[in-house]
Amino acid sequence: MDALQLFLGNIWFFLIGLMLVLYVVLDGFDLGVGILSLFAGDEDNRGVMMASLGSVWDANETWLVVLGGALFGAFPLVYGIALHALYIPVMLMIFGLIFRGVAFEFHEQARRKSPWGVAFGAGSLVAAASQGLILGAVIGGLPVQGDRYTGGIWDWLQPFPLLVAAGVVFGYALLGATFLIIKTGGEIQQRSYYRARFSAWAMFGVAVAVTTWTPFLHDHIAGKWFSLPAFFYIAPLPLAAMLAFLLLMRSLQKGYEHAPFAYSLIVFLCSFAGLAVSLYPYLLPPSVTIATAAASPKTQVFMLTGIGMLLPIMLIYNGYQYFVFRGKVSGRGYHD
Amino acid sequence: MDILFDTVILSQLQFALTAMFHILWPVLTIGLSLFLVLLEVLWLKTRDADYYRHARFWSKLLLLNFGVGVVSGIPLEFEFGTNWAPFSIAAGDFFGNILGFEGAMAFMLEAGFLGIMLFGWRRVPAGIHLFATAMVAFGASLSAFWIMAANGWMQTPAGVHFENGIIVVDSYAAAIFNPSMPTSVLHMWLACLETSLFVIGGISAWYLLKQRHSVFFLKSFRLAVLAAVIVTPAQILVGDAGGRVMAEHQPAKLAAIEGHWQTNPLGEGAAWALLAWPDAQNQRNRWSIEVPNLLSLITTHSLTGQVEGLREFPVKDQPPVWVPFYTFRLMVLAGMTFVGLMLWSLWRWQCGAFTAHRISGERALLCAWITAIPVAYLAVEMGWLTREVGRQPWIIYGLMRTEAAASALPAGAVGATLITYFVIYALLFAVFIVFAARLIRRGPDLDILLPAAALKTGTGTTPPAGGAADQPD
Repeated sequence: MDALQLFLGNIWFFLIGLMLVLYVVLDGFDLGVGILSLFAGDEDNRGVMMASLGSVWDANETWLVVLGGALFGAFPLVYGIALHALYIPVMLMIFGLIFRGVAFEFHEQARRKSPWGVAFGAGSLVAAASQGLILGAVIGGLPVQGDRYTGGIWDWLQPFPLLVAAGVVFGYALLGATFLIIKTGGEIQQRSYYRARFSAWAMFGVAVAVTTWTPFLHDHIAGKWFSLPAFFYIAPLPLAAMLAFLLLMRSLQKGYEHAPFAYSLIVFLCSFAGLAVSLYPYLLPPSVTIATAAASPKTQVFMLTGIGMLLPIMLIYNGYQYFVFRGKVSGRGYHD
Repeated sequence: MDILFDTVILSQLQFALTAMFHILWPVLTIGLSLFLVLLEVLWLKTRDADYYRHARFWSKLLLLNFGVGVVSGIPLEFEFGTNWAPFSIAAGDFFGNILGFEGAMAFMLEAGFLGIMLFGWRRVPAGIHLFATAMVAFGASLSAFWIMAANGWMQTPAGVHFENGIIVVDSYAAAIFNPSMPTSVLHMWLACLETSLFVIGGISAWYLLKQRHSVFFLKSFRLAVLAAVIVTPAQILVGDAGGRVMAEHQPAKLAAIEGHWQTNPLGEGAAWALLAWPDAQNQRNRWSIEVPNLLSLITTHSLTGQVEGLREFPVKDQPPVWVPFYTFRLMVLAGMTFVGLMLWSLWRWQCGAFTAHRISGERALLCAWITAIPVAYLAVEMGWLTREVGRQPWIIYGLMRTEAAASALPAGAVGATLITYFVIYALLFAVFIVFAARLIRRGPDLDILLPAAALKTGTGTTPPAGGAADQPD
């Protein structure tokens, strides 16, 4: 492992973290709207909720494909070990994404809409929970020897991943609710204020539990959080998350339309940064690090030119699409 | 039934199922999105509103098709990690990199402009809309390029070497432009165009047969015939070129596809088996119906050229023969039949039958076009079976064996997901057919308002009333 490879590996750690944030936030509100649609009441309301995503769900989900490809190329070892180890939650996530993805158009076309309404909501919930299980299992640690996963197929079924899964579901629901506050009006918007508050409190409870638990999972994480001066460098993250949470609750109280989504984003970003700092330089604790998993310098450089440099362009045209479809959804449904 | 307990075979079956299901959708997305670009250009140039209505009509089908395509593509990317972890770890430096390129350069481009293309007609000016449609079409085709470059590399790996169990890239140019890449990309891309043209032409033919909107659908039918007249023979030429690349780089695969066991002696031509009963145990065909010298002719373009037989290769390096032998023949039969259909169509056009009054009388021709839709899809599936089964027992030809590339998963887990995929995909396929049939029976919306009119009155570019863009917070 030479210095260049490690340096590039750090760049890719950052870039993949960035893609993961983009995915988690964008598909997060997308899946969150899906989870909330389970409580939509009737198919008309559910249709409006789906319509709020009609023009963007595909691009949001594509961040997962980009993220997967980047991880596959930059850290092949992580890709192989983690997906093998987490076979069942990964497959559950895929099945969930399949049902909620086809539901957009099938719900629109169907004469009996309720089965596809359920497919949309349940698929979103399963996908979100599976992502939480995957995240929790990775933080919890995967047994690895050399380049092979040595654990069992049910290893992820532990209290910690289940707790993280609950946190991800409530977090996505929060993002979804605050997104619906921006995109809708009337009854759906009113309910979304209430649901945002509920999800925020639930997420807060889980986040406190996860944050307290995480340092005890691995010595290196505890080393960062319970030692000086490292503590002072990372302490601002949970503090900023707390502050954003308070501002979020206040903005929901006051009935603002855009602020709740923005504050939810900040809560997410802080939690995410805290997680990344805790894990670094591990990709799959307790054994796979950036140094052991990074692809050759040649590959990493080639990918920087092909993917890294495209990131800003991807952001621009994705942003343009959001701009074109800005404003409230009209109640007419998913098609223009 | 050992198969039920063999993780490698189950993982292979699962990949085959998910890949064969997935390929059904992008095939149409790629061709149809290019057709939409053509329609939009024709509309903007001629200002014939029918082209606009055509664009709106076909994009409904595209949208229905697209959703299934997106969600069925995700399993493929992740299966490399879940079911083929050793392959992913060994080949990630090149293969993962290329999949990353596909996602970032192509797939995202397609997704980033799809919303504008489908729902943005009244929200953006015509020029921007055309640009969005072009980006969707370009992204879709570029995606096929990267996927086929990666798959071509698995067939004819180049520009890499193995080092400590990991594939190290020596030259990206050599790996991407591997020997089979050009013909692989072109063959798949033409297959997309060909299938889409039969979908467009076949659906148009159905309306013409029913005498619904004859003037309207004669336009799309003629466009489909014109394009297919070029694409169908070109596909056969490209397929032939691909065959010669295979003869050079994957001789065992070619021998299996042709059921050719014994290398023909110098000066004697190798016969081409039309039908055969391959018998791998005894390394021969039990019987076959043969055309003398034809295999030499198609493979080497000489009557007596030497073609290596399967017996030249150790049994453990031989691909299965039955599947590629017959799937290849079915694919070729379909391709040849399509050329025949083109000759027939051109002849009837020449006879002046392609007018709104006379076209519905061409019942047999129109029915043939409708039948061509499923046949085209079957040809694509047969082609993939030939290609991938013929690559066995290698996952990366000559470098890594399939059995060494599979994750050590419990067979029960893979069996369970295989069955789940089968059930879900059967359901999605059935639902798609029902909705697509309904969409076609409903027909085009000929009263649809032109977007230019909406733009001029100013109702299009501003967000609907109650917009929240200027909220104080």
